Amino acid sequence: MADIFDAYRPARAWDEMFAAPGVPRTPYLAVFAALQRLGANDLRYRADQVARLFTDRGVTFAFAGDEQPFPLDQIPRVLAAQEWDEVTRGVAQRIRALEAFLADVYGRGRVLEDGVVPRALVLSSPHFHRAAAGIEPPGGVRVHVGGIDLVRDEEGRFRVLEDNVRIPSGVSYVIENRRAGTRLFPGIFAEHRVRAVDAYPARLLASLRATAPEGVADPTAVVLTPGRYNAAYFEHTLLARLMGIPLVEGRDLECHRNHVYMRTTRGRRPVHVIYRRVDDDFLDPLHFRGDSLLGTPGLLNAARAGNVTLANAVGNGVADDKLLYTYVPDLIRYYLAEEPALDNVETYRLDSPDRVAWVLEHAHELVLKPVDGSGGKGIVIGPHAEEAELAVLRAAVAADPRGWIAQRPVALSTAPTLIGDRLEPRHVDLRPFAINDGTDIWLLPGGLTRVALPEGQLVVNSSQGGGSKDTWVLADGSRDGTGARKLVAVAAMPQSRDQQPSPFGDESAAGAAQQMQQ
Amino acid sequence: MTSTATGWRLGIRHVTEVAYTGSARSSFNEVRMAPLTLPTQTALESRVEISPPAHAWTYWDYWGTQVVAVDIPEPHERLRLTARATVETSPAPPLPAAPSWEVLRDTAARGPESEYSAATELTRVDEAVAAEARRLAGGLGPHEAAAAIAAWVHGQVAYVPGSTGVGTGAQQAYDQREGVCQDIAQLTVAMLRSAGLPARYVSGYFHPVPEAEPGETVAGQSHAWVEYRAGAWVALDPTNMVEVGVRHVVVGRGRDYADVPPFKGVYQGPPGEPPRVVVELTRLA
Repeated sequence: MADIFDAYRPARAWDEMFAAPGVPRTPYLAVFAALQRLGANDLRYRADQVARLFTDRGVTFAFAGDEQPFPLDQIPRVLAAQEWDEVTRGVAQRIRALEAFLADVYGRGRVLEDGVVPRALVLSSPHFHRAAAGIEPPGGVRVHVGGIDLVRDEEGRFRVLEDNVRIPSGVSYVIENRRAGTRLFPGIFAEHRVRAVDAYPARLLASLRATAPEGVADPTAVVLTPGRYNAAYFEHTLLARLMGIPLVEGRDLECHRNHVYMRTTRGRRPVHVIYRRVDDDFLDPLHFRGDSLLGTPGLLNAARAGNVTLANAVGNGVADDKLLYTYVPDLIRYYLAEEPALDNVETYRLDSPDRVAWVLEHAHELVLKPVDGSGGKGIVIGPHAEEAELAVLRAAVAADPRGWIAQRPVALSTAPTLIGDRLEPRHVDLRPFAINDGTDIWLLPGGLTRVALPEGQLVVNSSQGGGSKDTWVLADGSRDGTGARKLVAVAAMPQSRDQQPSPFGDESAAGAAQQMQQ
Repeated sequence: MTSTATGWRLGIRHVTEVAYTGSARSSFNEVRMAPLTLPTQTALESRVEISPPAHAWTYWDYWGTQVVAVDIPEPHERLRLTARATVETSPAPPLPAAPSWEVLRDTAARGPESEYSAATELTRVDEAVAAEARRLAGGLGPHEAAAAIAAWVHGQVAYVPGSTGVGTGAQQAYDQREGVCQDIAQLTVAMLRSAGLPARYVSGYFHPVPEAEPGETVAGQSHAWVEYRAGAWVALDPTNMVEVGVRHVVVGRGRDYADVPPFKGVYQGPPGEPPRVVVELTRLA
């Protein structure tokens, strides 16, 4: 029978869904079965429904100056339980090492004394905020929320692409994608085979409360937003609403005698924890940009005095610098005495004239990244670059080697993605979100899968016109043979169970298609 | 250590007054005016009085400077800060044995001194100035080179009060050949670094009268000079070209002015006049 996957030709990369043309990987069997019977028109219809749902709910992203619905591709990305265990172990380990590093560089600086990380690297980082030195955050937590970007290499191994421990964003898409996903695949979710993501707001709130200043019995937490013009404003409102805590702007807060208060219609109310989505530079005009109207003067000293918790802490950017990234495996060994559970992508530092010369010579074969860039800005993929672009790049790199790292181009894994009326392989990455409450590091099951929509593009970032996929982590016990047996059982169930008409089509034939594979 | 036989005991009174054209409120400020206790200097007492009465809170920052943070929520027309201190100073210690330039360059690149080796926004100079620094240092030992650079800056940049502002960088001060102690210190710091010596900016006070009589109060100034690292930190005063000793009181040290400003703050309200500053120094013993 002809189906929508017939024409799907995996690219020269690890394909998330297919081990070979027409042969889905085990975690995808249910999805494959559900989608196989759909025609191109069904897919198109479902895609329109999702786009409308997102526009209605305000799930948009400012791209090139326009508010656009953040494109959700309807083919989910599926991870088996044991794959997720591996990711969880690696991400949690990484966060623990970065926490130890931050405590160290804003404290004694042992890692610099011992020469594990060159002193100049830390001292020359624009995000090493000396004003944050000496602040002891409650519970020792600086990375309340971390987003560790992972990619899968040609062999299907997860590797860390970059760390985000300042203000990682995107979790609202995970929540909204799932909302849409449960409408696209009601049957599969009804079987409880996919781990839920809706615990995130409660987990975040619990972490914020657990890291409140000592002695505060019933802490008040708020979300601090730069305001409605911020690209992630939707996320700020969503998180505040789901956590049931106030959403404030800088002008709603005031500091007095090193305590922070929120202005309300019923007078001043103390604030103990600030989940802030305002960048360091704008947070406190007394210590950073004096012209900032987005922050509140006095916040930093209130934190220094131990009366308010800033989540995430000020100065975390020194740990997610792309140059520091190259040392994270060493930091894991140094602080934790463990081997890294997840490897970096092979990366070259431009720290000697020989290396700089080598990189300049091989720029056309490498990926060059600005150390301080975020959101994919400034990245040059050598093999895809025009000669003129490479010439500009070489000049920029030669002028400021400290400002760049070079990486082996990884053919990021691909996943089937609806492009027009066809499914085509597109490159994806994965941003798991980790929450640290001082005792435990918890990962939101799945995280944000971003997909680069233009063919062959390797930069997957919402600010570069990317889309996303609902990301499923299968519950333990649904993997391998166990999962297959369970699917057979599903097929044996009477179909009347799921007979409500759904605009997204019927995927209750999962089991039947599944059996064809066996 | 400080001894009364050769050192001085100094009383300092530093008044900063800001008059606003209207009413200011939500005023947050940091004051860095307390003398440090060092091998060459002992702070006996220091305190800050604030008018209108305000909450003051003390902490020590990254640079080891004592900071008094002051916030005044209520509307006020003027702000008056009076910092008082008593401190014992001592003569300049003998010059340390200087390591070779090679060793210096290595520690400048890798050691704790590397903090003081890189240019900052206020100490960035162009290649011509950097080349001049290297030319001045050429063939000299570290101490002689530092002295030559300080003397050169002293000769190039005329001391002209009001010719620059707090945000003026070293290059601009050089280009206009005018400045105050802050500019002269920052240009010297920049050139010492260019020559391969870690160098830092020192904020403090300077008593202008060499053989002052105890008990006599004179008008002084908030002052700035430099220290460079060659075996140990060595102080130079390129503005006055005098030995840094009993008449100098160290308050803070950083990469440039912005790390150790005596007074900074933000408030809501109309613009204020430039602060009026009075510093009085009294040799007590």
